[in-house]
Amino acid sequence: MNRRTFLKFLGMTSLFYHRMLRDAAATERPLLAAAEGKDYSAITRNAIRAIGGMGKFVRKGDLVVVKPNIGWDRTPEQAANTHPLVVRAIVEECLRAGAGKVKVFDRTCNDERRCYVNSGISAALKELKNVEVKYIENERFRKVAINGTVLKEWELYGEALTANVFINVPIAKHHGLTGVSLGIKNIMGVMGGNRGKIHRNIGPALADINGALKSRLVVIDATRILTGHGPQGGDLRDVRIVNKVIASADIVAADAYATTLFGLKPADISTTVAAYRKGLGEMDLGKVRILKV
Amino acid sequence: MRKLTVARVSQLLFLLLFLFLFVLTEYRGKDEISFAVNSFFRGNPLVLAAYVLAAKSFTWLLLPAVLVLFSTLLLGRFFCGWICPLGTLLDLAAKRIRKTAPVRYFKGNFKYWLLFPLLSASLFNINLAGIFDPIAVLTRALTFFFYPLLGDTIRQGWVGLYGIMGDKRDVLAPAYGIVRDYLLPFRETFYPLAFMSALFLLVILFLERYETRNWCRNICPLGTLLGLAGRFSLFKRIPDRLCPDCQACGQLCPTAFDREILQQQDCIRCMECSLKCTFSRAAFRFAPLAADRQPYFPERRIFIGSLLSGFLLVRLFRFRTPDAQARLLRPPGVRDEEEFLKTCVRCGECMKVCLKNALYPAVLNAGAAGVFTPVMIPRLGYCEYNCTLCGQVCPTGAIPNLPPQQKRMEVIGKAVLDKNRCLPFAKKTNCIVCEEHCPIPKKAIRFEEVMEADMSGKQVSLKKPYVVDELCNGCGICEYICPVDGKAGIEITATGERTPLENGYFQGAEP
Repeated sequence: MNRRTFLKFLGMTSLFYHRMLRDAAATERPLLAAAEGKDYSAITRNAIRAIGGMGKFVRKGDLVVVKPNIGWDRTPEQAANTHPLVVRAIVEECLRAGAGKVKVFDRTCNDERRCYVNSGISAALKELKNVEVKYIENERFRKVAINGTVLKEWELYGEALTANVFINVPIAKHHGLTGVSLGIKNIMGVMGGNRGKIHRNIGPALADINGALKSRLVVIDATRILTGHGPQGGDLRDVRIVNKVIASADIVAADAYATTLFGLKPADISTTVAAYRKGLGEMDLGKVRILKV
Repeated sequence: MRKLTVARVSQLLFLLLFLFLFVLTEYRGKDEISFAVNSFFRGNPLVLAAYVLAAKSFTWLLLPAVLVLFSTLLLGRFFCGWICPLGTLLDLAAKRIRKTAPVRYFKGNFKYWLLFPLLSASLFNINLAGIFDPIAVLTRALTFFFYPLLGDTIRQGWVGLYGIMGDKRDVLAPAYGIVRDYLLPFRETFYPLAFMSALFLLVILFLERYETRNWCRNICPLGTLLGLAGRFSLFKRIPDRLCPDCQACGQLCPTAFDREILQQQDCIRCMECSLKCTFSRAAFRFAPLAADRQPYFPERRIFIGSLLSGFLLVRLFRFRTPDAQARLLRPPGVRDEEEFLKTCVRCGECMKVCLKNALYPAVLNAGAAGVFTPVMIPRLGYCEYNCTLCGQVCPTGAIPNLPPQQKRMEVIGKAVLDKNRCLPFAKKTNCIVCEEHCPIPKKAIRFEEVMEADMSGKQVSLKKPYVVDELCNGCGICEYICPVDGKAGIEITATGERTPLENGYFQGAEP
């Protein structure tokens, strides 16, 4: 076969074998890094470096939003909020990659002042330049057309929408309704309105929101995970030290991998399945390139 | 402008201190509030008298009030002329208000007819003193009306600015952040009785048009009480009457010279007369044994009448509707309603400091006799699990100051599901937001998974919540967060027994 016929052949296959071509083009097998270790700042950096470094996601001058879970008035060891060291390492990586400004916020469930203080996140980011740790201000919510399977429109947070890069930094924890709460669920922190309402159809609803507001990078804090009585927890006996941080550009893959830490299957988690069906990422871990660092 | 005398400087400093402490009575990033406006109540002899009569006991929290009372015995009614922030406000306003003639109705024994029934009501177990206490009047007017008004106005301006500037507003954010963090109330809350509370203060100001310090000399129960104590003062003003040749004191004195003879109990020790006396006659002398020409107590019938009216006040205004009673949720740590009514000063501090604005002044829900006492309305705000601020600022310990681990176990009420509204029961859809938010480590709200036919007949798995009473402390976050529109699908109901949660259940043993 000479080159010309090969190219012709290749062109023809594209008509019939979409899939084959897509797979061939996919050196794009989603990439995921799981870093392990006791130095939480270091493993966070390692995980990001393993999937290509922050420079792959953040360009010079970018406005970056880092969205941890700061939802609860709990201390870091109670494992209800993202670990402050993980958040700080990510923010520092963003700055190093040249980010113009990094904003950190969450729409909390408990009193925001107590959450920001007791999660340790305010203090962890205090002296960093070009970093804003800010409370949600209601006037910044904007009605956004979602046109999803179950949600037609919803109010999303303006500062998250206008950012150049949205980085999703959940903590891995148990959740009564969805089984686990990870990156797909963490997006609720930028939802306005009566967000409890989406609980009646939470999987597809969250997939819709994630379709409308994409996380460029997902870093899951599994340094310690909450295995029961989530998402608030409060009992240290429900906390398991895992010493892991997971990073991926594929939110479904990241969630799927973190799910296995709880001894659960990704296919049993409605949010993961719905997001996969919507084409937001890969839930079959066999098709994910997993780098353990 | 009057010349700046020592008394004047002291007045202004105490007014500033009052406002400063008022602003500090708010969560500002620390679990403990070290200084709060409660100091002004703990040093308040009227609060002390009402507390002692009602609770029939003493609390060390009110030790400063004992000291103030003791100093009043020595020095006279100096509190009113040197400290009282309401008095200072009146002085600041007084110059600008032209006086007509004094109101006759207030003269004579009016003030005793106010003070003694209030104290007598305390004796019969309902502490009403706070309703007319000047510091409480001022604190409530600020808490329920002026401070929210300030907060809301600036906040609305800030929001409006967003409408104009959009994200460019961020350049101003640091400045606004400072104002928000150090000056403003964190949330915009509107209170019932806001109008009443403001009106009360405005009426007191309005009374200035009849006479200087009209409130202080003719009405104020704290002033009246201090006046009674001040009669024993070791320092007496001489001469004790207007000098026939001058009579300037009649104009100078803000409170005590509405007759020819100095009204000892009304003299607030402002020292204006001695400082301005052209003949250097007027002075305050150490004269412990100087005869007081006037009878010490007003007529006896005031006592008998007051005792009776206090008793009637307490008995006649206690009606509560059962509906209101079922929702009469007191702040955490208040175990006994009767005790609470004896000790609560109704100063409004707990409501001011409440993190999530769960507490509101009772209008009629606690009976007319309970007006201005704090009540939790969970649909508007819940009791934050780790917060202990209301107990910290309560001047009398009516809300006990508990360590967090104890406060978490105190029962405010119990959550009760309304299956006609709760989604999994009423609409056959999943929800469980209440369970998600329940802060109890072992979850006082749990759920069972049930397979049921939904509206189209399809079998669906439903998570149906239920409440574990042994674990529920009634914090109300479930009712607050319930996504059902309008009335919540789960509500906190008052319980007769507010026994705290048992440690065993709480710490982990399964109920």
